[in-house]
Amino acid sequence: MAITGREQRRAASADASADAGHGAEVNAGTVDARSASGVVRRSPRAVWWRTYLHHLRLLRAAAVAWIAGLAGITWGVAATFDLRHGSEEELAALAEMEGIPAFEALVGRYVEPATVEGLTLSRWGWFGILAAVWGMLAGARLLRGAEEAGHVEPLRAGPIGPRGHLTTALAALYTTHLVFLVAIGVGHTAGGMDPATSWATGGAMALLTACFATASALTSQLVTSRRRAVGIVGIAMGASLGIRVLAAGSATPDWVWWATPFGWIGFLHEIDQARGRVFLAFGLLLAVLLVAAVVTADRDLHGAVLTTDDEGVGRRTARPVGGQLGLAVRLTAGPARTWGLIVAVVALTFGLMARDFAEVAAELPATVAVAEQMGIVGLDTPAGIIAWTLSLFVGLLVAVFVAGQVAAIREEEASWRIEHLLARPVGRGRWLVTRLVVVAVAAAAIAVTGGIIAWFATVMVDVPITFVDGVLAGVNLIPLAWLILGIGVALFAFVPRLAGPVTYGLVVVAFALDFVGGLLDLPEWVLELSPFRHLASVPAVDLDVPAALIMLAIGLVGAALGTLVFRRRDLQEA
Amino acid sequence: MATQAPVVRFAEASKRFGDTLALDRLTLEVHEGEIVGLLGPNGAGKTTTLRLLLGLIAPTGGHAEVFGIDAWQQPVRAHQQLAFIPGEFQVWPQLTGGQILDLLGTVAGGYDPAFRDELIERFAFDPAKKGRSYSKGNRQKIAVIAALMTRAPLLVMDEPSSGLDPLMEATFQDCLREAKAAGQTVFLSSHILSEVEAVCDRVAVLREGVLVEQGTLDELRHLHASTVEATYVGDPPALDGVEGVEDVRVADGVIRLQVSGSTDPLLKALAQADVPSIQVSEPTLEELFHAFYDASEDLAGSTA
Repeated sequence: MAITGREQRRAASADASADAGHGAEVNAGTVDARSASGVVRRSPRAVWWRTYLHHLRLLRAAAVAWIAGLAGITWGVAATFDLRHGSEEELAALAEMEGIPAFEALVGRYVEPATVEGLTLSRWGWFGILAAVWGMLAGARLLRGAEEAGHVEPLRAGPIGPRGHLTTALAALYTTHLVFLVAIGVGHTAGGMDPATSWATGGAMALLTACFATASALTSQLVTSRRRAVGIVGIAMGASLGIRVLAAGSATPDWVWWATPFGWIGFLHEIDQARGRVFLAFGLLLAVLLVAAVVTADRDLHGAVLTTDDEGVGRRTARPVGGQLGLAVRLTAGPARTWGLIVAVVALTFGLMARDFAEVAAELPATVAVAEQMGIVGLDTPAGIIAWTLSLFVGLLVAVFVAGQVAAIREEEASWRIEHLLARPVGRGRWLVTRLVVVAVAAAAIAVTGGIIAWFATVMVDVPITFVDGVLAGVNLIPLAWLILGIGVALFAFVPRLAGPVTYGLVVVAFALDFVGGLLDLPEWVLELSPFRHLASVPAVDLDVPAALIMLAIGLVGAALGTLVFRRRDLQEA
Repeated sequence: MATQAPVVRFAEASKRFGDTLALDRLTLEVHEGEIVGLLGPNGAGKTTTLRLLLGLIAPTGGHAEVFGIDAWQQPVRAHQQLAFIPGEFQVWPQLTGGQILDLLGTVAGGYDPAFRDELIERFAFDPAKKGRSYSKGNRQKIAVIAALMTRAPLLVMDEPSSGLDPLMEATFQDCLREAKAAGQTVFLSSHILSEVEAVCDRVAVLREGVLVEQGTLDELRHLHASTVEATYVGDPPALDGVEGVEDVRVADGVIRLQVSGSTDPLLKALAQADVPSIQVSEPTLEELFHAFYDASEDLAGSTA
C-alpha cells in the first residue's frame, strides 16, 4: 500500500494539533516534552535529530572501514615518500612520468609527480574512484535498500515526511564524509604533505564522495530498486571515467578535464592555482544533485518518480523462470549486464586510446623501462596498453562484480528466501553450486567481453591486436575472478554475516597492495599476497599458466570447502 | 490410524542456540490424514520445531523424521513428499507472482496447473504483478497457493494464514478441510486459536521449548474444567464434597461452578434439588491455552 508524503504529513500535523488541544506541550526546539499521560512527545526537530542518529548508526561500521582504508593507504604513500624516492635518479624517473597520457588516463592529471603532494594527489586520482563507489553504495543502501527491506515504514509512520527522511539520511552520509575530510587533512599533514594541499585534498575527496552519495539518493527516488539505482549511478561513473580517459589524450583540449568530476581532482596541486574552481565545480554539482533529490523525494513509499513496468500489469504470460538454474540465471543476469556494460565502456575507451598512449610512451624509453621494472610490460605498444589497463580496470571491475554476487548469495539466506527452495526437494549443495557456476560463467563472460571490446577498439584505430589476443586478455582475468569467488564462498559458509563486506574488503586490499603496495615499502611477500600482482600482462606477454592454475586451485578449494560446510551448517538470518 | 507409521515424528528432538535451549527433547507424532496444530506464544519454539522438521537447522539432540526419513540427514528425499508455507513469505522482488508460483512448483517436482488456476481464482490473487509490489497478505497467498497446488502428501505450515483477511482465512480453512478429505496430512503452527479449533484434529502446546500438552481437543477438554450454570428453585443444591466440583458461586437462583473430569457425581448431586435448567460449557481452546500457561507458570513459580 502506498502512503504519500503529503498524506503522512497531514496525519502527523493533525496528530500534533490533537496533542496541542489536549494540553500536550510540544516545543519548537529539540527538547522533548512529556505529556500528562507520561508519553514523551518529540518535537519535529528532535524527531529529525533521532532519525539522523539512526541513519548514522547504520552507516558507522562501513564508513570507518572505508575511511581507514582509503585515508590510511594514501597517508602511507605520503609518509614513505622520502624513503622510496630519496635519490636524484628516482626523483628524475618520477618527474619524467608527468603528462604521460597512459598514466593520466588512469589517475587523472599527473602534476609534479616527483613531489610528495603530486604523487599523493595522483594516487587520489585512483582512490577517488573507490571513494565514489563507497558514496554510491552507501547512498543507495540508505535511501532505497532500507525501503526495499521494509525498514522505512516505522520511521515514516512517525512525524517525519519523505523529505525529512531524505535529509536525515543525507545529513548522516555527509557527516561520514566530513570525518573522511578530517582524516585526510590530519593524516596527510602528519604524513609530510603541505597542510593546505592536505586539507584541500580532504575537502575535494569528501565532496566527490558526497556527490556520488547524493546521486544515488537521487536515483533512489527515480527507480524502485537499489540495484537499478546503483546501476544508473554506476553507468554515470563509468561515463565520467571514460571522459577522463579521453581528456588524457595528447590531442584533447584541456577543458575536457573539467567535463568530469574525476578530472577536477588533478587541479588541486598548488601550481595550478585552481583550487577555488575545483571547489566551485564540486559545490555546484552537489547543489544540483541535492536539489533534484529533494524535489523528487515527495513520492509514494515503495514508489518511484519514473514510471516503470515494475507493477507488471498485463504480464500474466511473463516468461517462466524455470527451475533453480533459471532462477540463478535471472538473479545474476541483471548485475552482470550492468557490470558488463561498464566493462565494455572502459575497454572501448582504453582500446580507442591505445595507439595514442603507446606512441607517447614510445618517446619515453626511460619511463617504459621503469614501468617494466614494476611489472608493466610493453607500455610502448598497443598490446601493452591493453594488457595494463585491462588487468587494472577490468580486473578490478570483475572482482567487484564477484564480491557483489557473494553478497547477493548471502542476501538470499539473510532474507530467508532460500527457505522456499530448501524446504522443497532442492539440496543445499546443488543450490549453492548452481549459483556459483552461473556467477563464474557470468564473471568469465564479462572478462572476455572486455578483451573482445578492447580488440574491436584497436581495430577501429588501426593498431589491431589479434582477436585471439583480445580473448586471451579477458581469459587472463578469469582465474582472479574465480579465486575471489572461491574465497567468498568459503566466507559465506564459515562467517555468513561477514561474507559480503569481507569479500569486498579483500578485493580492495588486494588491489591496493598491487597498486600502491610498492610505494609503502612493504615486504615483497606481503605484496605477493595480492592476486592482482600475479596477473600476466596479456596480450603483451603470454598467459602465466602456473600462476593462473594456482589461483584456480585456491578458488576451487575455497568453493569446495564452502559448499561442504554450507551443507552441514544451520541457516542464519540477517 | 495410530497403527500406521507416523508421517511426522520427533524423537527427543532438541535444539540449542548458544546458551538458549530453544527446543527441549520434543517427542511428537503426526499420523496420516491428521491435521495437527502446534500452539505456543512467541518464542515457544514453534518455528524452531518446523525448521528442524524441514532440515534447515541441525538438531543438537534426537531427530525429526518425515515419512520415516531423517529430515537433517536426507532433506531432499524428505522434501519430495511435503510442501511448506512459511509465516513470513519474502519474495524475489523482480519476479511476478506467476513466475514465483511456476518456480516453486517446478523445484517442488511438479504441480497441478488446473488446481493452481483454481486456487488463484479462489484466493483472488493477481499473479501478474512483480514481487516488490505485493502486500503482506498477497505475498502470503503466493506461499499458500504454491504449497497447495503441489498436492503434497504432507503440508507443513508456520502460521500460514498470517496476513490473510477474514474472507481469505475462511477460504484457507476450506482448503485445509479439502486437503484432509483428500488424505493429505497437515502439521501447522498458529496463533489463531479459532483457526486451530476449527480445523485441527489434535493440538500440541509448547512453552519455552517444552511440550506441555498434546491430544485431541476432546481429550484436552476432559483434562480441564467445564463451566456449569444451573437454575434452582428453593434451596440451592448441596455440592460440598462432590467429586471434581470447585469454584461454586450461588446468587439469585443461579449456581455457577467448574467441574473437572466426569460430570456424573455432579449430575447426581444436582438431581437432589429442584433444578429446572442446566447448561454445561466446555472450555474453548483459548481457555485451555490460558489454563496450560497459567499452570505452567504456577509450576515454574513453585519450583523457582
